[in-house]
Amino acid sequence: MPATPHYDIVVIGSGPAGATTARYAAERGLSVLLVDKRQELGAPVQCSGAVSRHALEEVGIPLEAEFIHEAIFGFGIYNQAGEQKKIDYRLLKPEEYGPEAPKKPLGYVVDRRRFDRYLMTMAERAGVEVWLKTEGLGYRPQPDGSCRVYLRRFNEEIELSAKVLVGADGLQSQVGKWAGLRTHMKITELASCLQFVVDHVETDGLLEIITGHEWAPGGYAWVFPKGYGYAEIGLGVIRTMADDGQSAQEYLDKFIRQSFFKERFADCRVLEIQGGGVPLAAPLRQQFADNLILVGDAARHVNPITGGGIHTALSGGRIAGGFLAGLVDEGRAATEAELEGYQQSWLDELGTKMWKLYDTKTDIFRESDISVRDERLYATMSGYFSPDSEYKKI
Amino acid sequence: MTKKAPVLFDIGWNACINCGACVAICPQEAGFVSAFDTIAVNTPCDIACMLCEDICPVVTITHRPAAANSTTS
Repeated sequence: MPATPHYDIVVIGSGPAGATTARYAAERGLSVLLVDKRQELGAPVQCSGAVSRHALEEVGIPLEAEFIHEAIFGFGIYNQAGEQKKIDYRLLKPEEYGPEAPKKPLGYVVDRRRFDRYLMTMAERAGVEVWLKTEGLGYRPQPDGSCRVYLRRFNEEIELSAKVLVGADGLQSQVGKWAGLRTHMKITELASCLQFVVDHVETDGLLEIITGHEWAPGGYAWVFPKGYGYAEIGLGVIRTMADDGQSAQEYLDKFIRQSFFKERFADCRVLEIQGGGVPLAAPLRQQFADNLILVGDAARHVNPITGGGIHTALSGGRIAGGFLAGLVDEGRAATEAELEGYQQSWLDELGTKMWKLYDTKTDIFRESDISVRDERLYATMSGYFSPDSEYKKI
Repeated sequence: MTKKAPVLFDIGWNACINCGACVAICPQEAGFVSAFDTIAVNTPCDIACMLCEDICPVVTITHRPAAANSTTS
């Protein structure tokens, strides 16, 4: 009987977190298998695609037209009545930010289908073996310190041996549940999101964020440039805070037809419909178990104020890949006790700040007076994106 | 505490946008999913918390009693 194939690392889920973890581990010489159940990464799209340039550069991702829809130069934050605080870095720091080189954009809206494929390709070129149409079925730690990983590739069931299994399988993570980690999320902390990609809505290189209970209770609405003259109009709501139990779909319809943007949206034509759950929650308290760690949405590495998760997934992937390379290089065991070091590295670099953001967010939404809450959210969002924000790098 | 009666979920597939929110909020154990990455539709749910129905952005999840087949008229 042939020996069970062995990898240092098996990563389940090839989104930004999984592909980046795999790439960093492979660059350090580890044998890495990256699997994803989908036939086409990034689809169906469940994300607006906004990410800072810093976040891409920090993990060595070239700024390629292949996945960039449009460059972003700042923010427009609106209160419920439509008053705007504009944070346009083309005006704030004109010597640094602008459309023409050597000036640079602040960030981008990316095409998640192309972006996720690009990150997978980078991992593959770094030596990672990639299997699509492959879903995880389970894992089992072994007495010798390794673990068995059970996969289904197309219709074939496959058993592998690995030192560490990485769960990068998103918010709906099954890998975390296999390990018995407390991944359960509260309905009060998962925003129900819906967005349309539309034609005939003008934008100006800014991410526009619209706060206010009337438009998006518990979350916010957005208008993002999407390239080629297209835009994204979307919102996220916390259903328990919604009036009359209205759904995201009803709120989006109302935002388009009745908000202070109704003239701007009057001719909008829907080109794509996308949705998802976005955690406005704390990071998982425990992101590791014997032979297993979680990264990205699966570990809830998501900014609880903005709901942004690409930057945090990329950074988390870099931290995880580097940590696992050290673990294997130094011949340390993949025990729960050793893997706690991964979470500690993550907390030191990012997590502690995310906990602080979570506390800020919780405090705002605990406010029972809706108009006071709206004012505080508007002020917090405006402060968050300003040049002197302490959270600029999250 | 009264135990809730098990339910079977039904998904209006035409409206489903495959966003994954129902699976993300589901407190069931691993594997309570359909082949289309939604919550399970052929297995009775004995928790019956209905969080999946609440989170669905396009309101396309409904349920019926799991024992609906055994009519008693």
